[in-house]
Formats: sequence, C-alpha cells, structure tokens
Amino acid sequence: MEEFEREMRQALERRPAPPGLKRKVMAKRNRLHAERLRGRRVLWQRLAASVALAAAVCSVLTWREREEERKGEEARRQVMIALRITGHALNQMKTQLAGHGHANQDRTDGE
Amino acid sequence: MAHDWQPDFEQLVDAHQSMVFSLAARMTGDRGLAEEIAQDVFLELDRHLGRMESSPHVCFWLRRVTMSRSADALRRRRVRCTDLWIEIEEGHGVSGEEKESPLGARLEQMLATLPEPQRAALVLRYQEDLTPEEIAATLDAPLATVKSQLQRGLKLLRAKAQSQLREFVRVKG
Repeated sequence: MEEFEREMRQALERRPAPPGLKRKVMAKRNRLHAERLRGRRVLWQRLAASVALAAAVCSVLTWREREEERKGEEARRQVMIALRITGHALNQMKTQLAGHGHANQDRTDGE
Repeated sequence: MAHDWQPDFEQLVDAHQSMVFSLAARMTGDRGLAEEIAQDVFLELDRHLGRMESSPHVCFWLRRVTMSRSADALRRRRVRCTDLWIEIEEGHGVSGEEKESPLGARLEQMLATLPEPQRAALVLRYQEDLTPEEIAATLDAPLATVKSQLQRGLKLLRAKAQSQLREFVRVKG
C-alpha cells in the first residue's frame, strides 16, 4: 500500500499552471477594478442627483406649504377686516335706528 | 496582529497558481475549465483579500474555494468523469510532461473515474499532502467521512490499477 501511495504522490504532483494564467487574471482584475470604479462613480452621480432632486422636491413642498399658510393668513385677515367693517356698519345702523327711535318718541310725546 | 498582514495579490497568484490550477484540473478533468475556475478563484480572492489573515489562511481559503467551484462546475456540466477524460484527451490533450509518465497519466485517468467525494479527498491527500483533519476542514465534511472516502477511494484505485496496470506493475516489480 505504501508503494502505491508513493506512486500516487508522484502521479499527483502539482501541474504547472498554463503560461498565460497570471496575465489573464491580472488583466481581468484590472478590468474589474476599472468597472467597479466606474460603477462607483455612476453610483455617486446617481446619489448626488437623487439628493438634489429630493432637495428640490422638499423645497417645492415647503414653499407650497408656506404659500398655503400665507394665503390662509391673508384670508383670515380679510375675514377679520370684513367682520370689523360689518360690525362697524351694524353699529352705525344701530345708532341711526336708536336716533330714529328717540325722534319718534319725542313726536308722540308732543302730540 | 494577523490583520496587519498586507498581501500582494500578484505574488499570491504567482505562488498559488499551480496549486489552484492542478486542483481544478484534477477535479474537473478539463484543462480549459480548470483555467476558468482558477481565474474565478483568484478574482474572488482579490475581492476577499482584506479578510485574509496570513499566508496559510490564503492557502486554506484557495483550496476550499477551488474545490467548491470545481464541484459546482461538475454539477453544472453533469458529465460523467469518463466522458470528461475522453474530452481532455481529444480537446485539450495532455502535456509532454504527463506523456513522459504513463503511470501518472493512467493513475490520473483512473482517479477521474472515482466518485467526486473520493476524488476530492484523494487529490487533497496526495497532491496537497494534507492530513485527513485538514481535508475535513477544507471540504467542510466530518472527519470520519473523509477517512472512509480516502480508504475506499484508495482501495478502488488500487483495484483498478491492479487490473489495468498489471503490465506496468510487473515491469516495476
């Protein structure tokens, strides 16, 4: 058995690698590194574009929200003015009605 | 610290290309496929280079990945070993060095007819000179299984050798 094992060891010695193996590996590795670098660059570009887009969307949304708030505030202010005007008009009307009421009473008393 | 080890990829390829190629060639029986596997294994090593802790770790990792890749390739091809060896002789041929040693070539042919687990164990045992414990770690298999595969593989090969190489044995004797 030992003799056979010795034969096996001899038969199964490492074979030399094909001559171009290392060159091919290095070439593939360089190509992959370049592709990875390019891929990473594209990824960063996409990421930057996404961030810019997100910032733009956020700005638009914020602007719209503020615009709506401003419009709401403006509407509230106008309603308050309208109410003040109406109140003022009603007060004037009340004063006039009160004036008419006194005049009528004086006339009735005179008669 | 182990992680202070700074491997040079080119030197690693230089140092281990013969081992990786031989393992893949003996497992697949196809020099072309073995070269492809060797390239893939080294490119994967490049991706994992940062995790390598020492030279023996690289060697262990390369053996393990090569055996696994070879098994995957064999599974993909689903070709019987005997057919593979017909292919190797027709398609890729054997090198001059191999032709000079007919016993070696015949033993390799016979090895290729063994079931894959036995072949893997024998290749690691006799090409890489690993102990059964190291083979078990490399193949991620139980030690008892590896020992049994080694024993059965060797017995089978010997029986084949006795019947097929009777003439050679007689000359040697």
